[in-house]
Amino acid sequence: MDKKHILIVDDDPAILRLLSTNLKARGYEIYTATDGEESLEAVQRDFVDLIILDLMMPKVDGVEVCRRIREWSDVPIIILSARGDENDKVKCLELGADDYLTKPFGIAELLARIKTAFRHRGDPSVAPAQATFACDGLEINYAKRRVTVDGKEITLTPTEFALLQHLAVNSDKVLTHNMLLQSVWGNEYSSEKEYLRVFVGRLRRKLEPDPKNPKYIQTIPGVGYHIATSPASVT
Amino acid sequence: MKTNESIMVVDDDRDFLDIIRKILEKKGYKISAVPSAGEAISLLKKGFYNAAILDISLPDADGTELLSNILALHPDIVTIMLTGHSSVKNAVQSLNRGAFAYLEKPVDPENLLTVINKGLEKQRLVFENRQLVNELERHNHITNTLLTVSQAVARTLDLQEIIDTALEKVADCTGVEASFVYLREKDHLKFMGHHGLPMTIIKDIPKKVSGTEGIFSNLTEQSGAIIIEDMAKLEESDLKFLKKADYRSFAGVPLTILGENIGVLGIATDFNQIFSPNNIDLLNGIGREIAIAVRNAQLYEEASSARALRELDSMRTAFLANVSHELRTPLAVIKGSANSLLQPDVIFDDQTRRDFLLSIDKDADTLTRLVDDLLMISRLEANALEVKKKKVNLSDVIKAIKDRLDNLTVKHRLHINIAKEITTLNIDEGRIGEVLTNLVENAVKFSDDDTDIYIKATHNNKKATISVADEGIGISPELHQKIFERFFQGDGRKAGRRKGTGLGLAICQGIIEAHGGKIWVESKPGSGAKFSFSLPLD
Repeated sequence: MDKKHILIVDDDPAILRLLSTNLKARGYEIYTATDGEESLEAVQRDFVDLIILDLMMPKVDGVEVCRRIREWSDVPIIILSARGDENDKVKCLELGADDYLTKPFGIAELLARIKTAFRHRGDPSVAPAQATFACDGLEINYAKRRVTVDGKEITLTPTEFALLQHLAVNSDKVLTHNMLLQSVWGNEYSSEKEYLRVFVGRLRRKLEPDPKNPKYIQTIPGVGYHIATSPASVT
Repeated sequence: MKTNESIMVVDDDRDFLDIIRKILEKKGYKISAVPSAGEAISLLKKGFYNAAILDISLPDADGTELLSNILALHPDIVTIMLTGHSSVKNAVQSLNRGAFAYLEKPVDPENLLTVINKGLEKQRLVFENRQLVNELERHNHITNTLLTVSQAVARTLDLQEIIDTALEKVADCTGVEASFVYLREKDHLKFMGHHGLPMTIIKDIPKKVSGTEGIFSNLTEQSGAIIIEDMAKLEESDLKFLKKADYRSFAGVPLTILGENIGVLGIATDFNQIFSPNNIDLLNGIGREIAIAVRNAQLYEEASSARALRELDSMRTAFLANVSHELRTPLAVIKGSANSLLQPDVIFDDQTRRDFLLSIDKDADTLTRLVDDLLMISRLEANALEVKKKKVNLSDVIKAIKDRLDNLTVKHRLHINIAKEITTLNIDEGRIGEVLTNLVENAVKFSDDDTDIYIKATHNNKKATISVADEGIGISPELHQKIFERFFQGDGRKAGRRKGTGLGLAICQGIIEAHGGKIWVESKPGSGAKFSFSLPLD
C-alpha cells in the first residue's frame, strides 16, 4: 500500500518537528504548514490523506481553515489544539472536523486517532456482507461508498459515512451511545458523547428532508440511535 | 343673624351712638362706638374693622381727614360718611377720597343698613378675589419651585451632584437658611451633603444616624414631614448640631418613592417658623422630586457596577483561557517529546533522541519564563510590583545588560546613543534593564538579519526618553494600543521563531507606569517600529 500523506499545520516549530519525527517514524509522508493560508495552499497543491490542524494560528485560523476545506474536500481533519474548552470542540466538529485532541497529548493517543480516521476512510476488507442498503428513498452502496436520497447523490465525509454504514448495517437494532462510539470511533472514545450528537446532526442535515423530524436516523432518548426500515421493527 | 363682621361708629353725639349700636348689634355686627377721631384711630391701630361709620364733623378732627387716616391704615374698610344738611359738599369730597357712601342726618336706619350691606357685600367680593389671586400665586410658586428642582436634579445621574443641586435649589426657592440630606443605607441614614450650615458645626453633624430609632425612624410618605417649630423644646436628638448653631425651627421632609422611604431632606430656619400647610405641601413635593432623581441615580450606579463586574468577570475568564492555552503549548512539546522517547514501537537514532531532549529543555525554559511573566503580571495587577528606585547612570544600566543585548543582536547591528547630559535617573535599574532587553528582543524578532537596531536616549527638563528602533515589518496604527494588552501576539515574526508569552509589552508598560512614566510606539507597516518610554527626572 502507498504511504499515507499527512499535512501538519501548526505555527509552533517545536510541535511541527515533534509530530513530523514521530509520524515519519511510523511510515507516513509528511507535509507541514505554519499558518492557515499556507495550509490551504498545501491541501490544494499536494495529495493529502489527513490533516492535523492547530486552531490558533496567524492569518487564517484553524476554524476557518476547517470550514474552507470542507467546502470542497472530505479529507479527514484532526484538530490539535491547546484550547480545551468543550464549546471549541463542538464548534470544530460541527464545522466538519473529524476529531479533536487537546494539547498536551500522548503520542500513542494521536497515532490511534489517526488510525481511526483512516479506518473511516474505508478499508474494503471491513465492507459489510450485503453490497447495498435501501430504505424509503435512502440508498447506500457500501463498496462504492456512495449515498443517494431519492436518487440525488449526497457527499459524506469518511467519518459521516462510517457512522451511517454502521447504523444501516445494524438497521432495526437500537445502537447505544457506547456501542456506536466504540464501533465507529474506537474504545478510547466511549466518553466522547458529543461526537455522536454532532455527527448524527451532520448526517441528518445532509440526508433528512426535515432534519428536525428525522425519518431515517431515529433518536431513542437516553439510549442511542437506530435506522428503522419498517415502522415497528425495533428489536 | 350672626356675622363676624365688625363696624366702628364714630360720632360725638352719644345718644346717636347708642341708637346706632343697638340697631347694628341687633343685626349681629360687632360694634365699637367711639366719640372722637383720636379714639377711633387708636382702636384701628389695634385691629381691622370691616366698616366705619363716621360723622363728618368731629370735635377733635375733620371727618374727611379722619377718613384719609383710616384708609391709609386699612384700605379695605368700607367707610360711610354721615353729614349734616349743610355739609353735602364735604360729603362729595369724602367720596372722592375713597368713602363708600354718605348719608344725610337724620339717618334712616333702613337706609343705613342697606348701604352697610352693599358696602360689606362689595368688600366680601374683594376679599374673595384677593384670596383667589393669592391661591393662584401660591400654586404658581409651588409649580415653579417643583419644576425648577426637578429640572435641576434631572440634569445628571451623579448622586452627589443631584443632592448638591437639590439643596441649592431648595434654598433658592424657599428661602430657608440651611438644608441637608441623609440617605438610607440598610438600617441607617448616611449624611450626604448640606447647604448653608455654618463651618463651625460641620464636624458635629453625625455622618450616620440610626434608621430604626431616633427622630428619622418613622418617616414615611404617609407620616409626612416632621415639624419642630421651636428647637428649644427639642430634647437630646440627632439634631443637636442644629441647636448648637441656634437654628430655631426644623422640618424633616421624607424622601419617598413608590411608598419606600429612601432618606430625609432637613430644613432649618433662624426664626421660630410656623410651617403652614402650604409650606409643608411644597416641601413634601420637593422631597418627592429629589427622591425620584436619587433613586434613578442609585439604579444607574447599580447597573453600571453590575456591568463593570460582568466585564471584569469576562476579562478574568478570557485571561484564564489564555493562560491555560499558553501553558499547554510548551507542555505539549515537553510531554510529546518525552512520550516519543517512551514509545516501544520505534527506536529513534541518537540525533533524534537528542533533539527531543533539547526540545524538552527549551520548552521547560519557555514554561519557566511564562510562569515568571504571569507572576509579574499578577504583581502588576495587584499594584504589588516592588520598584527599588535609586540614582543610577543610564549608561550603567545598559552596561549591565550589554552582554545579553549583544547575544540577542548577534545577527543585527546594534547602535547605542545616550545624550551625555543624562547623568542620573532615579529608577529600579533591574526593571528598566528588563524593559530595554524586552524591547530589543522584540526588535530582533520582527526584523530581518543584517538590519540596524538603535537604542537612543534624550532628555528635556522634566523627563528622559529612551527609544528602541528597528527596521522590521512595522505595526499598523490600529494595533498601537492593542500590542500592550496581555496575551496579544503579533503576526509576522520571522519563520521558525517561537512565539513569546504575549505578556512582554504588558509587563514593560506596567514597569514604566510604576516609575511614573509612559510607553508608546511609533510605526507604520513596512517601515520599522520605534518603541519609546519616558521616565521623570526627579
